[in-house]
Parts: sequence; structure tokens; C-alpha cells
Amino acid sequence: MSFFTKKISRRTIMQALIALPALSLFRKLPDTDPDAIVEVNGWILKRSDLT
Amino acid sequence: MIFDSYEAFRAVNFTAKVCILGSGPAGTTIARKLGAAGIPVVVLEAGSREFSDDSQDFYRGVTVGDPYFDLDITRLRFMGGSSNHWAGWCRVLDSQDFEAKAWAPDTGWPLGCADIEPYLPEVQDILELPDFRPDVPISDDIRWVQLIKSPAVRFGEKFADELDRSRNVAVVLSTYATELTGDGKRVIAAKLWSNGQDAGFFTADYFIVCTGGLENSRLLLWSNQRSNGGVVPKATALGRYWMEHPTFEGGNAILADYSAFEVDATNEAFFSPTPAAMERLEIMNFGIRLIQTPYPGIKSLIADLACTAPEMAEWVSYQLSQNLRCAAQLYVAWEQAPLASNQIRLSKTDVDPAGVPRIELHWKKSELERRTLLEGLRLFGTTLVRKDLGRVRIADWLANGGDYPTNEELAGHHHMGGTRMGTDVTKSVVDANSKVHGMDNLYVGGSSVFCTSGECNPTTTIVALACRLGDHLSKVIGA
Repeated sequence: MSFFTKKISRRTIMQALIALPALSLFRKLPDTDPDAIVEVNGWILKRSDLT
Repeated sequence: MIFDSYEAFRAVNFTAKVCILGSGPAGTTIARKLGAAGIPVVVLEAGSREFSDDSQDFYRGVTVGDPYFDLDITRLRFMGGSSNHWAGWCRVLDSQDFEAKAWAPDTGWPLGCADIEPYLPEVQDILELPDFRPDVPISDDIRWVQLIKSPAVRFGEKFADELDRSRNVAVVLSTYATELTGDGKRVIAAKLWSNGQDAGFFTADYFIVCTGGLENSRLLLWSNQRSNGGVVPKATALGRYWMEHPTFEGGNAILADYSAFEVDATNEAFFSPTPAAMERLEIMNFGIRLIQTPYPGIKSLIADLACTAPEMAEWVSYQLSQNLRCAAQLYVAWEQAPLASNQIRLSKTDVDPAGVPRIELHWKKSELERRTLLEGLRLFGTTLVRKDLGRVRIADWLANGGDYPTNEELAGHHHMGGTRMGTDVTKSVVDANSKVHGMDNLYVGGSSVFCTSGECNPTTTIVALACRLGDHLSKVIGA
């Protein structure tokens, strides 16, 4: 067994992996204001135009 | 009185107090003002009554830098000057055009809009204009501005009879003033060339150079060279700070709502930035010319939009069924940053038939102007989105940082600067009354005195400044 798995139990590793998706909650979310101005392919649009 | 040659003029006994060089909008307007004040004036016009290839040939020259029009095409050398091919579009410089822009060096005039406003009724009469309409803000950033499409007065045609009847104004055609001679305080005489040969010297108490926005610099540069600085003693800025109105198609628009503005009789509307927007973005003034496109022209635009924003394209298609006026081309003309490096020089190798060096025009657009064009379209596009008036698409070459197209209009045939107005003698040639710094009797008329170009066609401001100079000289000479 490697040094890493000797020191940390399999259960702890599994719990950490399961918790990973929740970390995304703490990321800065992209601007989703539907009225925000966006420039795409030369077009000057509202974000909601792209939905 | 109109004389078809200098020889015919010499046969009469007419003593002029003032000699005006050039019979375009500036020269003719000043002559009429002085004549009406009872001051005897001679107008020397290098061309004849009509266009001729031989006369135009004197205007040949070369341009170094960005592509530009042939210099013998972009102006006209006969009675009435370049008013003979003028499109007739009229607007006075914006009041903020006279103010210095902190983000653009060498901007600002020594006079303000209020100094020429008293002359606007007279300008309306000369150019046959309706009342000026105030700008209409359509957002905090964009103004819907008025650009009057006038009958395009041809000064030679309109005023020929009046000038012919005048006892105070003598227009002498086919008489080319090749140089002025001066002693550093006064112009002594104009050296003439007529009928294919030297024709001696013409003297007057005052001289006013109104030969056009390229030729004024050429004449003064050559005169100064010949008289060792005796015509423009403070010549650092002479020929420099030359400006145009670069003009390119910058994009398209889809329009669904016309409630905020109207198009004119030729289906066009014009937009400019607010002073606050210019200051915030640190850009120059510009004018967006919106030209409605016929219905078939929009199909490719909608197809392009459908690739990016399908639902938006559907909405536009729906609007199309409700309202057929909904696509437009967007042409942008903008104010050039005044740069000393944009300048008129005398050719070292090429002269005209009278021996005067031809023009070598050094002209390049700056990065500030490129940013003005791009940010200007973004401002306009954002306004259309915020107000739900439509959507803008910026042209690929512009959005992707490509080169300026070479198959478009290029510029407005508006020749400004070269003998600019100012108080700093190292950065200007004439004072606020259009008098050449250091000279007692030499004045300049026309758009060569412009310090900045603004975004609008220059003729209205040229005529207003000419009215002002005419009044000023009437007082100076009459005193």
C-alpha cells in the first residue's frame, strides 16, 4: 500500500470524492443577467437573445 | 463685376482695398460681406467659369500614408470652388467640438459655438436651409442628430449675377496667385500667373487666402519659403494638423421600432455620441449614418443572426411581418485626432505648370480613431438593445481587428486644418479672428483654420466663420 492510502482510510477518500460536486456551489457563477449586453459573432445582443 | 481674364480686369480702373484669393464658399461669402459694407474687393479665382481638365491638373499631388483620393479629384478649381461638387449636407459643429478634450492632445478652439451662432440666420439664408433642430437624446450615450440635406448651393452659379452687378466686388477669373510676398509684418503683393505666363504683382491693403483646405497650406508654405518667413513668421504649425472625416461601413442593424427617431426623405438617420459618453470612453466625436435597406437586403442578415441567436432571429422575422422598415447599413464618419504628423508638404520634385511645388499629403488614421469607430458602434448597439429598438452587427473586418477596407468611401472629401486657429503660435497659424500670427494684413478663410473637425460636414461652419470674418474685417477696415 502506498503511503497515502496507509494514512487515509478508504471511507475518508470516498467521502471526499462524494463531496467534490458540492464545491462548485462556492465557485463564482457566470453572469446570468438576462438583460446583460453580450457581443457574439459581431452581434451586440441581450444575453436573453441567446436562449 | 466679373472679368474672364486678368487682362480684361486691368483694362478697367478698379482699386481694391482687399484681395481675396479663391471664390469658393469662404471667399465668395467674405467678398459679399465686404462689398455690402462698401469696401472694394478683388476676388482672384485661378479657374474659369467652368470645369476644365487643364485647370484641375494644377491640383495634382501625392498622398503618403493611408489610401486617399487623388488630389485633383477631391476638390474643384473653377468659380465657386469645391461647392461645385458638394453634396449639400449641412450641420454646424457641435458646441462640444470647440472644447478641449483632456484625452486628445491639441484639441479645443480659441472661440466657442456662441461666437458663430449669431451668424447662423445668415448662413441659413446663404445655404437655403430650414431651421436647425436641437439634437434628440435617445439614451444617455447616443443623440439623434439633424443633418440637413440642402439644395447644395453652387456659389459660382448662385451669386454670379449679384457679383456681376456689384460695383464693389470684382471677380477676376483664370488668374492664379502663385505666391504672396511679405516682409514678416505685412503681405506686400500677390504674384500672378495668367494666360499661361507671369502676370506681375497685385497689391492691396489686405489679403485673405481662401483657396481651400489643401491649397491654403500649399500657397502659404511656398510663399513663406520664397520670402524667407516673410508671410507666415510663426510657421511651426503651417501645413500641420490636417484632418479629414474617414468614412467606412462599420456594420448593419436590424430595426423593429422607430419610435425614438425618424428617417429623412432618403431613408436615413444620423446619430452621434453624447459628450458624457465621449468623455467616459475617451473617444472622439463620430456620426453614424443609418441607411434603411430594402426588404430583400435583410434576409442574409437574419440568416446570420439565426446562427447566433435563433429565437432573436425568430422575433425579428415576426417583426418583419409587422413592419417592413427594419434593416439598415451603418456608415460611420468620425472626428480625427489632430496630429502634427498629418500634414501638407511641398513636393521636392514635382511642380505645376506655373512652377509651384505640388502637394505631398502625409495622412494616417490613428489608433484612437480606430477605437472611436469600434466603441461608437458598440455604444449605438447597446442603445438599441437597452431601448429594444433593434440589434446591431459590427462588420467582421472591424470586430476582428482587420485592415480598413480599400473599396469603400474612405473619407468625406473634407479638407480641414493646416492653418489652424489658436493662441499657441507653435501649434496654430491664425488667431481667433483668422489673422495670421505676426502679420498685420493677412487672413485665412475656410476649413483650413479648423482646430478640430467634429463629425459633421464642414461647409456650414465654413460659411458661418466666413460671415464672422467678413463682419470683423468690415469693422477693422471701416474704422
